[in-house]
Amino acid sequence: MRVTNPHLAAPEANPAALSAAKADPMPLVALPLVTLNDLLWLLYLYPIRLLARFLPRWSLYAIGKLSDPIVQFHARRRKARAVPWIAEACHTTPRDAARIASQSLSNNMFRTLDELLMLRPSFDKMLCCTFIAGMQHLENAIAGGKGVVLTVGHFCATRVCLRYLASKGYAVLSVHNQRPSNKAEGRLGRFLQPHFIRLQKLAYTDHVYLQDPDCSLKIMGRLRRGGLVVLQADGRGATRMVEQVFLGVPWLVATGIYEIVRLLDCAVVPMLCLGRSTGFRIRFDPMLAIRPAPSREAFMSANLPGFLAALEKQIIENPEEWTLWNHF
Amino acid sequence: MDVVEPLLIDPGSGSPDTMGRIRRVFIESLHLNLREQDLRYEAKLDESVGLDSVAVLEFVTALEMEFGIQFEPEMLTIDLVRNMKELASYVDERVARRCPSREPA
Repeated sequence: MRVTNPHLAAPEANPAALSAAKADPMPLVALPLVTLNDLLWLLYLYPIRLLARFLPRWSLYAIGKLSDPIVQFHARRRKARAVPWIAEACHTTPRDAARIASQSLSNNMFRTLDELLMLRPSFDKMLCCTFIAGMQHLENAIAGGKGVVLTVGHFCATRVCLRYLASKGYAVLSVHNQRPSNKAEGRLGRFLQPHFIRLQKLAYTDHVYLQDPDCSLKIMGRLRRGGLVVLQADGRGATRMVEQVFLGVPWLVATGIYEIVRLLDCAVVPMLCLGRSTGFRIRFDPMLAIRPAPSREAFMSANLPGFLAALEKQIIENPEEWTLWNHF
Repeated sequence: MDVVEPLLIDPGSGSPDTMGRIRRVFIESLHLNLREQDLRYEAKLDESVGLDSVAVLEFVTALEMEFGIQFEPEMLTIDLVRNMKELASYVDERVARRCPSREPA
């Protein structure tokens, strides 16, 4: 549900973000019939998805490798925009930043292929975890008994790692934005969007959507049982946001996650997931120290910079694995 | 002069006192610019003011503090929270379970 009524005070809601969220989509007639983006999604949703049902993983990855030049070409403008940002945020040269932008794009493509593989019933057996660090931090947080919020960034291996943790008895409720990442640039893309949403629903087994009216209640229920919930701290789909500087740029930070932490007093553990299904690593960092505060605003002021700093550190250490550089 | 709506309690709904407290908590916890009497007991709470999901959570945690109870995880559904009568009935039940001496004979 969105904040829709003037009776409801939401001082931290960003008016621009809210108006964008409420904006009507562009009318169909104003869209081109088909774009390269639409064609890529069409290939992904049908032929590649069908092939993913029976092809061995290595051959699916080979298809991904062959399509990489097309994906890089398609994203060339977004990459060009990302390079100065990466160079500044990661304190690196433009040349290295260009390499990071390309690698991030490739890794993101392999992530989408892994998501097709997730549809296979046998996917759990295909998972190859090479290393888990900091498991004691997770266990300590669980022992607190108030539930654990795992904060992650948009890293390529997050969903694969969550699937692996679930197979090992650590079921994690994940929170997704139902608005598909397929930007539907053309009429074909608009037609494909519902199919993409259906595919996502099949791939994510233990999840709740931000758009669900009882999203927070489901999260609360899981935490009250002492369970685990994962939230993407750099996610931008939300009705409550504050503008912060993140990786050197203004960033609308969704505050819902922090409000849940404030209200439920649960533990917060940063998690880092790197790699792909053929070999991935998981790292749990020590629990974040939460400073109690009497009000929502004071809580955000006291804790938000620390939460974001932990995530920024992860991204700067592993820039090739973060998917949002080329997103804008 | 404000017209105060009469309390019409259905069988199975909570006590008038509980409903009044819930209404007050709802307005106070969400900082609504509403008078208590503007909020009808029959109305769906989320539809009355347009809540986002986090606001629902704020309301539930404020209720827990007000009544000194804890919602059971399986009862945390929007259908319960939006319906003031059902909510009051549930809260009364939880309070009674916490304080057996207050249970009706």
